[in-house]
Amino acid sequence: MDEPRAQVAAQFLLQSPPGEINDVLNDIRTIIADDDLLQEESLPVLKKYNLEQFITVDVPNNNHQSIISAAAKVSSALDEEERFLDPRSKTTFAFDHISLEASEPLPIEIDAESEPFRASLESATLTYLSSHYYDGVTSVFAIPGNPKQFNIQVVANKYNPTNYWSGRWRAQYDIDMENNSVVGKISVNVHYYEQGNVQLATTHDVSFNLPQGIIGSQESAAASKILALIGEEESNYQQSLANSYHDMGEKTFKGLRRALPLTRQKFEWDRVTGYKLGAELSSSKGLFTNSS
Amino acid sequence: MTDLVDSMLDLMRRLPPTRTEENVAALLNICPDYADDLLGSVDQPLQLKTDLATGREYLACDYNRDGESYRSPWSNEYDPPLEDGTMPTPKLRKLEIAANEAFDTYRELYYEGGVSSVYLWDLEDGGFAGVVLFKKTMTPSSPNEPSGSWDSIHVFEAAERGRQAHYKLTSTIMLHLLTRSSSEGENKQGGQRKVVENLKRQSEVNLSGSMTRQNEQDWPIHDATSHISNTGRMIEEMEIKMRNLLQEVYFGKTRDVVFDLRSIDDLEKTRRQRELQKELVGLIKR
Repeated sequence: MDEPRAQVAAQFLLQSPPGEINDVLNDIRTIIADDDLLQEESLPVLKKYNLEQFITVDVPNNNHQSIISAAAKVSSALDEEERFLDPRSKTTFAFDHISLEASEPLPIEIDAESEPFRASLESATLTYLSSHYYDGVTSVFAIPGNPKQFNIQVVANKYNPTNYWSGRWRAQYDIDMENNSVVGKISVNVHYYEQGNVQLATTHDVSFNLPQGIIGSQESAAASKILALIGEEESNYQQSLANSYHDMGEKTFKGLRRALPLTRQKFEWDRVTGYKLGAELSSSKGLFTNSS
Repeated sequence: MTDLVDSMLDLMRRLPPTRTEENVAALLNICPDYADDLLGSVDQPLQLKTDLATGREYLACDYNRDGESYRSPWSNEYDPPLEDGTMPTPKLRKLEIAANEAFDTYRELYYEGGVSSVYLWDLEDGGFAGVVLFKKTMTPSSPNEPSGSWDSIHVFEAAERGRQAHYKLTSTIMLHLLTRSSSEGENKQGGQRKVVENLKRQSEVNLSGSMTRQNEQDWPIHDATSHISNTGRMIEEMEIKMRNLLQEVYFGKTRDVVFDLRSIDDLEKTRRQRELQKELVGLIKR
């Protein structure tokens, strides 16, 4: 009986808005009131959440952050401890899914064939982030087993609990240099919760083929060109999001409820109740005080 | 005990508004003993029902529910029928009929469509309480047009004090907006330089949520209909205030957060310009 309760409650964690996972966890702790049971149920859900949401981590002995995601997971034997990769510093580390801290860093041997282009993509992405993201973090992965496939992940977070809002922008791009294709996905989540609960949730899937000019060029030039295409797509998307805001505000919001009636006058309550309905009800003066 | 209810409400304030019904159902399974607290405090989207006697649409929520049945404000009948369903006293029902008529006229002026319903009930201490509901949905005329829905829930308590009445109003407005779009085909980017082929895009923007505000006021009463005009004025003021607030939060605040994460303009360029400016200012001062 008790196990499904905690199991159901733990699933709420997956819906947590950016930066509010501890608040959601605390609420669930009070509701379930059995920390041992909840811990058991919540750990696999927290893992899933961290991977899905591109949670960032300070890489040990480095001055940068990397992304915790399915692509960052280092495949290991079943009985081994789960470890994550930071391709930028070429280290793997253990990760605590509750404290969100990395430990036990170890150097890792990188696939020599894919590394040059991966490193070029990484450096182009870092340049791109400094131009268009306020606090962007990226990890650029080479896909194991295929030296022509790469995965760029980007995340930016802003948490402002004092002013009751938080936001997250996630993006990832699968670059396939064999088929010359890019498949990307952008997700934006915003939560505003001062005396209310308003959330923006967007998804944007995009795919395109790389132009001939890129395919033939040198690695660093090709990487910069790919990032220029991604940057343009992201800026176009952000602009279209701004247009959606405008459309929803101008068309839908105004169409749902007017600011004032067509007459530009407020409702004449006395006229409606006084003349139209008053006659029937005016006899019952003091609705409750003189109930006979 | 109250900690638990507070935690449930805090949780509902954080989880996505698009999944409120599903999450309330899950919480009810986890804490069945707190069903009344939860259903009484968490506003859920209003359901549209059709009065079987008059064919007119009305709104269903926890306030006109008895068991599994909902009472229509138009015919005063429960659906599915109930033999001994909770009813307002005949006097209060008279006021309820008048209130439904008045707020329906108000609805037509402000919403130009949609559905309204008013339900009143007697309070144990002698006063009465009520809920005024409005709902309007907009369906898109083409696939790339936005759709949306607006649900207003105004719950009030009225206590008569001689020739005055004291009103407590709690208003919640739920606003859901959704835009889907997709495009396919070759598309030029960035002028003549780069041309990508086989470009496909698919997007969804969901802007949803609710906001709640409270107000208390005293108003004079001349006769029973005064309660309609008094609560009517309070609700009208509240809706005007909250509509401005929704506009600010939905289209201002959440948009600003997106633009706080990513910038369309080149930030490096801005930084360089600022540095150059600083240098120039330094040169002039020297």
